[in-house]
Amino acid sequence: MSLVRAELSRLLARRFTQLMLVLLVGAFVVTIGTTVASSHVPTAAEWERAEFQVVQEESRQEQMQQLCESGQGTTDFCQTLSERKPRLEDYLFGVFVFEREIRDLVYFMVAFLALFSFLVAASFVGAELNSGGMTNLLLWRPQRLTVLGTKLGTLLASVLAVAVVATVGYIASFWVIAQVNGLPGDVDAEFWGDLAMVVVRGLLLGLGAATLGFCLATLGRHTAAAMGVVAGYAIVWEVGARIVMEVVETGRPETFMLSTYLGAWMDGRVTFYDGPCVGSFAECSYSLTWAHGLIVLTALVAVVAVGAFASFRQRDLA
Amino acid sequence: MRAGASYTDSVEVNHQIVVRRGHWTIQPRRTGLPPTGVTLTVGFNAMSVVIQIEGLRKTFRTLRGGARVALDGFDMTVEAGQVHGFLGPNGSGKTTTLRALLGLVHADDGRMAVLGRQSPAELPAVAGRVGAIVESPQFFGNFTGRRTLRLLATAGGVPHDRVEEVLDQVGLRDRGDERVKGYSLGMKQRLAVASALLKQPELLILDEPANGLDPAGIREMRDLMRDLAAAGVTVLVSSHILAEIQLICDHVTIISRGRRVVSGPVSEVVSGFDKGEYRVRVAGHERAAEVIRGAGLPVTVHDDHFVVGDLADPAWVSETLGGQGMWVRELTPLTPDLESVFLQLTGTVPEPGAHKQVDDAVRPGAEQDLSVTVVEGDAK
Repeated sequence: MSLVRAELSRLLARRFTQLMLVLLVGAFVVTIGTTVASSHVPTAAEWERAEFQVVQEESRQEQMQQLCESGQGTTDFCQTLSERKPRLEDYLFGVFVFEREIRDLVYFMVAFLALFSFLVAASFVGAELNSGGMTNLLLWRPQRLTVLGTKLGTLLASVLAVAVVATVGYIASFWVIAQVNGLPGDVDAEFWGDLAMVVVRGLLLGLGAATLGFCLATLGRHTAAAMGVVAGYAIVWEVGARIVMEVVETGRPETFMLSTYLGAWMDGRVTFYDGPCVGSFAECSYSLTWAHGLIVLTALVAVVAVGAFASFRQRDLA
Repeated sequence: MRAGASYTDSVEVNHQIVVRRGHWTIQPRRTGLPPTGVTLTVGFNAMSVVIQIEGLRKTFRTLRGGARVALDGFDMTVEAGQVHGFLGPNGSGKTTTLRALLGLVHADDGRMAVLGRQSPAELPAVAGRVGAIVESPQFFGNFTGRRTLRLLATAGGVPHDRVEEVLDQVGLRDRGDERVKGYSLGMKQRLAVASALLKQPELLILDEPANGLDPAGIREMRDLMRDLAAAGVTVLVSSHILAEIQLICDHVTIISRGRRVVSGPVSEVVSGFDKGEYRVRVAGHERAAEVIRGAGLPVTVHDDHFVVGDLADPAWVSETLGGQGMWVRELTPLTPDLESVFLQLTGTVPEPGAHKQVDDAVRPGAEQDLSVTVVEGDAK
């Protein structure tokens, strides 16, 4: 317990952690401020215009539906048509509609939280290894795996606490904006359930990012090692290898990219065109779900974590 | 069992000592053999040996397949209450030994025990009684000295009051709220010592504690070690400042190229190389040297004096030369100091015009001349 307290104090006392927290809050404040500034309560005239446009759109869709029923539209088009019914909120411009926009805003928050978690985690252990603080600590507690495990556990608990508080505060802020200066939209139980799932996936992604940053920095003995690996992967594989795969026409190149599984994890499902193919999009596409994302990302984090702990257990410390 | 406690008993000899790969174990004798009828009085001073190192080996390997032998069967024993100096040329394996002892470096072979517990396996059981600084002080630069010590105290379950005590003890009380990155090397060294003292250790391991310290700091460090030793703390200190070691240490171990060269009380190590030499200054020193040489004593003639060896009674020189009408102006014993012993034992005596390399040190075990040549000017 004393080690946990010491690690928590050490984490909170770090200037980099404090700086990242300020940046996190700053980014949220800017996003919220921008939303407040760009939204307003719709006027009676805007309501009227929106209602008129909805009626027009419904009429147009009805005609299209008749064409579909007579077999003149493509399957994809007709399916899309039946799924998307016009709503008033779609024709109220400059109005923040919570139900319509919060998902993208949460994605932004998750991305920022993941970045925050990765950098804070990598720096937390990287600086200790680089400065010799870890060696000093091991003179007091010569139990390598316990020390590293406690450090990681304390870090993950702290990241989770920050992420939960930030998420609740963030979503609550936009809910208040919607109530005061915009529209809540069609928020039913299903909507809240979906949003909760996105948040939970986002929190798990943040924890994964923290673990990955921590373990890469442990393997490389430096904060920069973790950042270098990520930058190198992004440039060499996500960009370079993707281009090469397209040139040599590798089948389903997206399945080799981590970004695909990140997208699948967060969105629940991603669908790609599986060309060359003749037929409807449904016939010529393939999907990856959150389950695929979970397996690949968990395996990645697990392999790196096991490698980091095994390496730290065996290595000679400077 | 406290340090120094001992145990003795009489046992019938029904066990045998089996030696394999340089390690011994006691095993029961084979059944069916008749009783030996022999009893032995056995005893051990369980905790009098605070540090025991046997056959320690460590080779550092590089990714390109290179290998550098840092420790090659090194042995060392430090007993309770000693202030034990640990000396060796650069790259001889001192820091690797201390790191291995403290579990920071994995040894390839050999056995180590600290306060009666095997290291590194049982190190956690005694870590709270061992204070250590290894090589250059390493701290996170953005933390203050006080916060650094408080974090360590928290991790080790030491009351925070102790932080103020050690800050005062090492002279950093008024500078404790400054960031460590603003500290001088000497102040960082003091902070490192403070961190080692935080636990009120029974055993203190200090690697180059005088590094970066100003003269006053060196003196304070010397006094601190003396005080600690007087309080019963066992101190193992490595240093390149041999005069300091000679002043504060009662025992010494010298290492060269990963092997022990010599170990024992400082006075014995030094006196073992005392050849009874004296420097004699006298008018007409060349003629005087001939007189002494004529008596069968070894004499080395220099520009304005000569050195005579194997001299049991220095008064004999005065009497002999006085009898010839030559009056002695100086008769100085050339007692070797620790530095000259160290340089001789490790083969690192500087030679005019030669640039000695770190790997030019003596490798113990190879044939070597362990006689000490006292360097002129080093005599005490």
